[in-house]
Amino acid sequence: MASFELIEPQSVEEALVALDSDDPAVRPMGGGTALMLMMKAQLFAPTRLVSLRGIGGGFSGFSLSGDGETFCIGAMTTFSELEQSVEIARHLPVITQTMKTLANVRVRNVATVGGNLAHGDPHLDLPPVWTTLGARVRIIGQSGERVIPVEELFVGYYETSLEPGELIAQVLVPVRPDWRSFYAKVTTRAEHDWPALGLAVSVLPEGERIADVSIVLSAAVDRPTRLVNAENVLRGSVLCDEVLTRAGEAAVAETDIETDNRGSSAYKKQLLRVHLGRAIRKVMGA
Amino acid sequence: MSTTRTIRFTLNGRAVAADVAAGETIVDMLTLRFDLKGARESCGQGLCGCCTVTVDGMAVSGCLSMAWFLDGTSVETIEGIGTGGALDPVQEAFIEAGAFQCGFCTPGFIMMVRQLLDAHPDPDDEEVRHYLTGNLCRCSAYPEILTAVKLAAAKRKKLAA
Amino acid sequence: MTATTPAPSIGRSLPRLEARDKVTGRVEYVHHLRLPGMLYGKIFRSNVPHARIKSIDTAAAAALPGVYQVVTIEDIRKVIPHPYYGPAFHDQPILADGKVRFAGEPVAVVLAFDRKIAEDAVALITAEYEELPGIFDEIEAMTSDVLVHDELKPASTFPDLQHLKGRKGTNIALDYQLRRGDTEAGFAKADHVFEHTFCSQQVMHIPMEPFVSVADYQDGHLTLHTASQGPSFVRIEIARLLGLPENRVRVKVPFLGGGFGGKLYIKLEALVTALSMVAQRPVKISLTMEEQFYMVTRHPCHFTIKSGLTKEGKLIARHCEVIWNGGAYADIGPRVTQKAGFTSAGPYDIENVSINSYAVYTNRPPCGALRGFGAPQTAWAYESHTDMIAEAMGIDKVEFRRMNMLREGRPQASGTPLRDAEIERSLDHILDRMNWSLPFDRGSGTIKRGRGIAIGFKGITAPTTSVAIVNLFADGSCALYIGTVDMGQGSDTVMAQIAGEVLNLDAASIKVIHPDTDVTPYDMGTLGSRSTFHMGNAVKLAAQDAMGKIADLARELGLPEGANLPLADMLRKKYGMQAGNIIGTGSFIPDYEKPDTTTGLTKKGTPFWGVGAAGAEVEIDIETGAIKVTKLVNVADVGTAINPKAVQQQLSGAAIMQLGFTMTENMVFRDGQLTNGSLADYKIPTLLDIPREFINEHVPNAYDKDGPFGAKGAGESTTIALSPAIGNAVADALGVRIHDLPITPESIFRALQAAKGTPLEDCA
Repeated sequence: MASFELIEPQSVEEALVALDSDDPAVRPMGGGTALMLMMKAQLFAPTRLVSLRGIGGGFSGFSLSGDGETFCIGAMTTFSELEQSVEIARHLPVITQTMKTLANVRVRNVATVGGNLAHGDPHLDLPPVWTTLGARVRIIGQSGERVIPVEELFVGYYETSLEPGELIAQVLVPVRPDWRSFYAKVTTRAEHDWPALGLAVSVLPEGERIADVSIVLSAAVDRPTRLVNAENVLRGSVLCDEVLTRAGEAAVAETDIETDNRGSSAYKKQLLRVHLGRAIRKVMGA
Repeated sequence: MSTTRTIRFTLNGRAVAADVAAGETIVDMLTLRFDLKGARESCGQGLCGCCTVTVDGMAVSGCLSMAWFLDGTSVETIEGIGTGGALDPVQEAFIEAGAFQCGFCTPGFIMMVRQLLDAHPDPDDEEVRHYLTGNLCRCSAYPEILTAVKLAAAKRKKLAA
Repeated sequence: MTATTPAPSIGRSLPRLEARDKVTGRVEYVHHLRLPGMLYGKIFRSNVPHARIKSIDTAAAAALPGVYQVVTIEDIRKVIPHPYYGPAFHDQPILADGKVRFAGEPVAVVLAFDRKIAEDAVALITAEYEELPGIFDEIEAMTSDVLVHDELKPASTFPDLQHLKGRKGTNIALDYQLRRGDTEAGFAKADHVFEHTFCSQQVMHIPMEPFVSVADYQDGHLTLHTASQGPSFVRIEIARLLGLPENRVRVKVPFLGGGFGGKLYIKLEALVTALSMVAQRPVKISLTMEEQFYMVTRHPCHFTIKSGLTKEGKLIARHCEVIWNGGAYADIGPRVTQKAGFTSAGPYDIENVSINSYAVYTNRPPCGALRGFGAPQTAWAYESHTDMIAEAMGIDKVEFRRMNMLREGRPQASGTPLRDAEIERSLDHILDRMNWSLPFDRGSGTIKRGRGIAIGFKGITAPTTSVAIVNLFADGSCALYIGTVDMGQGSDTVMAQIAGEVLNLDAASIKVIHPDTDVTPYDMGTLGSRSTFHMGNAVKLAAQDAMGKIADLARELGLPEGANLPLADMLRKKYGMQAGNIIGTGSFIPDYEKPDTTTGLTKKGTPFWGVGAAGAEVEIDIETGAIKVTKLVNVADVGTAINPKAVQQQLSGAAIMQLGFTMTENMVFRDGQLTNGSLADYKIPTLLDIPREFINEHVPNAYDKDGPFGAKGAGESTTIALSPAIGNAVADALGVRIHDLPITPESIFRALQAAKGTPLEDCA
């Protein structure tokens, strides 16, 4: 790779200055895994990388807000830090569950929450999980700060709504003790693989009834996608085969699933039908 | 222009320095500047584990990590484990279990198993399988590697007792 | 020679001699080699599968600071006037010569002192192509007007290929035939005739140490340091290319980080040699993992098998039509076609057999040898077919096999009698470990369970030669000089055990000198399960020769019969000081009879028989097709296990590799372009893929009377029967048959839906 500049700002302000450029080859860097992969594959040649390792502030560490209602997770938090956290396991067990099959230990040791989101890769495991949890992201740029739901971050295949020079600072996850969540990583080529589909579900159960539900599909589609019609079938319904079948059909009908090396469109639709039902049953404890 | 820098770090217990370029990987630096051969690039994508080293006690893929950020850290490679000519218990266990054939992936596996046993001193089979999914052995000495992990755990316990 | 007797070597699970170097990372591979003044070469590859090259623009790359030179075929022709190579056909240009024949073919090379600069420069090269229609499917290629090569160019080293010389207008690189009895009459007489077709996919070896070679050419002398399984072949072929005598070409091979048949014959060696001659400097090329997929692969195979049976279930006729997709260059494909064709009727006693086996050129990456030399692809067909026949005829699958099994002394299809091949005991061993006679849990709900078995065999490349030297130094210590490459299979250790047994030395004290063609004698190659048998015999002969010379020396010194004076003392007595050597040599070539040119029949077509059997239990989710192999048993006849631990590792390692080829591995092409050429998308087995019950054993007390101490090869036997055992288990679980590898969740689900009459749309 051709030589490039690497800058290590010590504050957000310095970082924003370093990123203030019209050059699309100027990029921020979290753990650097995805960037290194792209650089080695000669898909991306940076002129300047701005490492966010040293900027501190809300970018690192994670904690429960004073009111106990929101987890604030700094964008530079590594996956291993989340994986090993007792607090996360207690309040966001689906994150701990997802970590087990996410990439491998070495990647989890360096990959960061913010970098993962900013990459916009639809095959990643965490974005659909954050989405189903109702998480929001705090974004900082030269013109100030904004907070948007995670799902609004993804606008297309490897495409995010981040403006040039903007940084993801934090992920804000509501603590919802009555909800239950699960991430189904469905692989087709080998047990350990990128998912053919990722399915993140959260439900608010009321006995046998699904009081509320959120379903997010990833990997089989160009970005993490809420399955609104399937949610509508399920919301307010009592769990039964017929409802799950209808929800599965609604999910298939509302998505645009393309054939790729992990499976044909028709097969992945079948996987969606089956795994949606299973995931809902699982979180409903049935 | 900060395209290169001098990094100062501890390599297998010795203070060292190197001039590195932005983007230079740890495995390239170890191979070309320190003539260490234990960490090897194979898949080039962080999937096979042949390039595993630890940085401040944490395993990373040497082929995907920039040497640049090693400044001020402590790096350990397969060449640095064991004491005074004696093998590390994990190395001994690998020999006793016959947990390798061609040996190309072996240092990476050993480094990773050390980290596994730090985190889970007494792992069950499923824990081992999951923990080591990021290490590939094409000779497929996998059954023997499972045995070696058990053996190494027992050796470590005995040493600690 | 010490006075105390060391433990016997044979049958001892001695740890690998190099074990310590491997766990400390110090072991030597070409991967790490750097020579003073060395240039790195980086390959610019074609991005189209079949095209005439109109122009190559290397100016921008050459102008990049730090680039030493950019090389194309024009530069190479100046140093090697006829730059075409290959083991069976001289069909492969060192760099693309006017035409590219597969996407990924090397077109130019950038040389630079810095590898990164070479990589950057490659990105600046452009080529203009006039695209030609491509041919990718082996069946279409048989009759297509699209020709991969204008003319066939067999190497003169293979007399049986000479009839193909100059043949034009065809993609068929070899048409192997075997005719035994009268197949047509057999079918006419048969009560039942079955015909099925099975396919295997293209897969790759994936050695963890990617292909790497370093050439250093100076003043008419060449030294190659290369990760090769066949240093002697490399020397001969490079000497031919350069018009040099063998003694001007030196080939050195340290340890290999895996080979599996990929690093055989000639790979990067011709290219680095040419580059070193052009640049007048040492040149190294190391492929990346992604580039490996364009080097050599395993043949896709399309096999139609037809069998005629009596109403009792006795096989009386079989026809095999086997078509091998060889890719753009023949490599050793014609030999695979022939050797696997030879046993493609399976380990059954059938009176009338006809076999047609074709090697076909296509515009895919080249295919060559891969662990089993085609036997796994043929067994996938004949053992799936076996179960299908037994099912259709309502005969127990085990009994059906026993009824038709080839037994000791009976002629195999080629007429070569079966000898020292424990086919039935392998089957019995499998049945025992599978608890075959006990009731079997067939699953419940959406989970269905099934189990299957299969048996298989293979012939061994013949006739081939191994030569060994045993050198006893003045103090009695020993070194072994052999051309066998230790690529992980443990040959150093096994050969030391054989020498130690004869010399009465502790095997662990013997030094094995690695292949260096200036030092170690000829060996045909580390391939096809041949080393333990061939080199093992040569080592044994060399050690016996040394023992004979020691006895001569004792007589010369006037020592009484039965004296056990250590060798060191004897040499001291003879030379008056610590001096001298005892050198024993051994050369081995097995008995062989050339097959008849029209019928393919021979009384001695293989030095020994490789035998493997497998049993599998599977668990399938019928709503998704998701499959788990929950139990896998592999058994092989290895004759005497010289080192039982090393044998067990070979059996288990080969089985897991074939498990990958059965379930997960598949090179997927779209319009001739590989779409999944990296380990992120080409999935080799991980620890998670290993069946929870996994048993690998050799048949106890087997013995091959021609093998060293009764031993034969062990590296491939468990690859043969594994795929059909799993396919048969799937059929047992579901009642549907998978015909094409790999067996994926989607292929299972599709087969289920098709059987229900509701086929899934838009096959990917």
